[in-house]
Amino acid sequence: MMEARDLYAALLHEMKNNLVLLTLTLDNIPHDGTKEHDGPLDEARLLGQRVSERLMQALFLYKSEQGGITLNAVDAYSPHDLLDELAVQMRSLNRNLMVDVVVDDDVPPFWFFDRNMLEMALVNALHNSLSYARKQVELRARLREGMLAIGVRDDSDGYPAHILEAVAEDRPLQSNGTGLGLRFARLIAQAHHNEGRIGELRLYNENGAVFEISVP
Amino acid sequence: MNAPAAPLQIEYKNKTALVIDDFPSMRSAFRTALAAFGLTKVDMAATASEAMIRVKNTSYDIVISDYNLGEGRDGQQVLEEMRYLGMIGLETAYLMVTAESVYERVVAAAELAPDDYLIKPFNADIMRARLDSILAKKQTFSKVYRSFSEGDLESALAGCDQLINGRTKYLVDAMRFKGEVLIAIGRFDEASELYEQVVKLRAVPWARLGLARTMHLRDKSTDAEHMLVDLVGQYPELVAGYDLLADVQLAQNKFTDAQVTLKNGVDTSPRSLLRQRRLGEVSYRNGDLTTSENAFFAAVNKGRYSMFLKPNDFANLSRVYIDKGNSSDAIRVLQDNRKLLQESEEGKLISSVMLGLAYDKSGNKEESTRLMQEAVQLRQAGADGNPDLLLNLAEGCLKTGFHDEAAKLVSEVARNAHDSAHLLDKAKHIYQEAGKPDVAQEVIRKATEHVITLSKQGALKVQRGELGEAVKVFLQAADEAPRNPRVLMNAIWVALRLMEQDHSQSQYLPRVQIMLSDVAYVAPDHPRLSGLQTKLRAVEAALGYKGASRRRKG
Repeated sequence: MMEARDLYAALLHEMKNNLVLLTLTLDNIPHDGTKEHDGPLDEARLLGQRVSERLMQALFLYKSEQGGITLNAVDAYSPHDLLDELAVQMRSLNRNLMVDVVVDDDVPPFWFFDRNMLEMALVNALHNSLSYARKQVELRARLREGMLAIGVRDDSDGYPAHILEAVAEDRPLQSNGTGLGLRFARLIAQAHHNEGRIGELRLYNENGAVFEISVP
Repeated sequence: MNAPAAPLQIEYKNKTALVIDDFPSMRSAFRTALAAFGLTKVDMAATASEAMIRVKNTSYDIVISDYNLGEGRDGQQVLEEMRYLGMIGLETAYLMVTAESVYERVVAAAELAPDDYLIKPFNADIMRARLDSILAKKQTFSKVYRSFSEGDLESALAGCDQLINGRTKYLVDAMRFKGEVLIAIGRFDEASELYEQVVKLRAVPWARLGLARTMHLRDKSTDAEHMLVDLVGQYPELVAGYDLLADVQLAQNKFTDAQVTLKNGVDTSPRSLLRQRRLGEVSYRNGDLTTSENAFFAAVNKGRYSMFLKPNDFANLSRVYIDKGNSSDAIRVLQDNRKLLQESEEGKLISSVMLGLAYDKSGNKEESTRLMQEAVQLRQAGADGNPDLLLNLAEGCLKTGFHDEAAKLVSEVARNAHDSAHLLDKAKHIYQEAGKPDVAQEVIRKATEHVITLSKQGALKVQRGELGEAVKVFLQAADEAPRNPRVLMNAIWVALRLMEQDHSQSQYLPRVQIMLSDVAYVAPDHPRLSGLQTKLRAVEAALGYKGASRRRKG
């Protein structure tokens, strides 16, 4: 029994290492400005990142079923830095897309959250927007009912009604594609809590699709 | 709404970096990525030892290390050794790379944390962003760090306050660093207040740990213990919490509890030599030879890769073997590590003393007598060891008939530890074993009598305000017990107070400096130490003394 667990851990370890190697190798290939070269390269990079993302989600969901999710790395981080970090990734995956970062004036210079977790949840939304946005994505930090709300808005047609309803009513989400990512984002949002308040995931359509995670 | 902030431009061209990873392909991927950021000077290390050598010879702006380095030390241990030994300064950016999600729980309150970490898998953009933000922070804190490493702690504090009052994104980082500086200066009350403020913002583990640490330093051990029990209950992987909890329990003489705590720490993170060593010491004291043997064995084993390994670790392990009646194991471990032990005078002494005791146990009187003779000669030639070793030597002397030498050793240990019940009991025990319990009492009484009298006289003179006279008496006590931390610290404290009040008494300054470094050597973890060091610096400044010693963090 113990042996199988060790093997499983070793395999995962190697898989993660190989994914880093794959991602860095792809990231290290320079663009040459031609469609024939840069197009497939960007697609490969996005795919590499999606595989990584799905692996992390799978591990996370597995853990959450084993014994619930606890956040281990809540500390003070700059919301602005978080958005900048996400914007850089977004821009480098699609250089034709306009990525705007907006931080409302009343957002404090730091907030307490689990940066890696929040980033994982948001990257998932970003990757979605990469598939659906026309030309523009906006990353915005604002205060909403005393919580820090981080939103991703794209200029697509918006989320289909059944997804909006499922998220609004906190119903189970489907276990593939967008649904899987949203399930994951909701778990992460809800794992954030402070002074009796719990984080939440909101989806709505307003000049495009808006994905917004609030953390207390 | 804010316009997007101009992204911070970090210039990488002239920076130097070290990459530590056991996989060649990973190393070269890092190198290519760093080259794309503009770095040209990138060195590589495949193992912890290689990294140590690199860092010794070159000072790097950036260190990127994998957490998992295969056999031997992990990335966190490498970081701790580098920082602890002062091989990298606060201005070096340290980025840990890890596939273990458990690492973030280790790091949540580690005293020596990396500047940031990356969880695998990650991409080049995230890596760049993390490095950018570490380096930007280093720039912001550069003046504070410089003041700190130059020993100008007041300026470091002022710098922190400036950052805190600026209410920037670095506010909490500045508070965290200020807490460490306040502790280093010995201003524990203020440090407590500061950590309480952070906890009010959010009960992050490092602030709770800091608060517990300052409580402990303010002798509020019960409060500290409650806090730490809560903390490790909530974060069972937080090894720094176990270490501090054990300190707190030991301070209250709760030896059994401390052993349980250290065992939990060791089970969570078995690789730390220092923690294994402490578990060995505490369980030995508790008479739990099995736990002690396992821990000392692990310490010696882990130590093969660590700079923290000391000759005394072999003395500890062989002592347990001897107590358990396994003299052959003791002989084997001492002989297997003979080469290492012969490198220092202390090691040679340990080798002779412990082998001598082991041969005595196995019934080889001839060999044990020869070795004890050798040990006595080494000792006379100046070889030194900790009090436990000297008592081991005394025991060996009694067993082989060197009674005068034994009495001399016991009296030396007693003089230098007149307030250590543990060592005095051990001394009595040795004589009891040898069938001479009354001799022990007499030797100890004689040895400590004068030191105790002098200390009392000195204290009385301080009470009467006769500082000049008090200094003379305490220095006399220090002459008699030159390695007694309490006696030394009393002498230092009174001399500093005198010089503070009367600048013409500066003749005591060199002596105080020497005594303080002696204390730092015999009792490096003593809670009064940092306060005295700070006071010394203040007096040095008041007397116009130039060249205040550089103080390392930790």
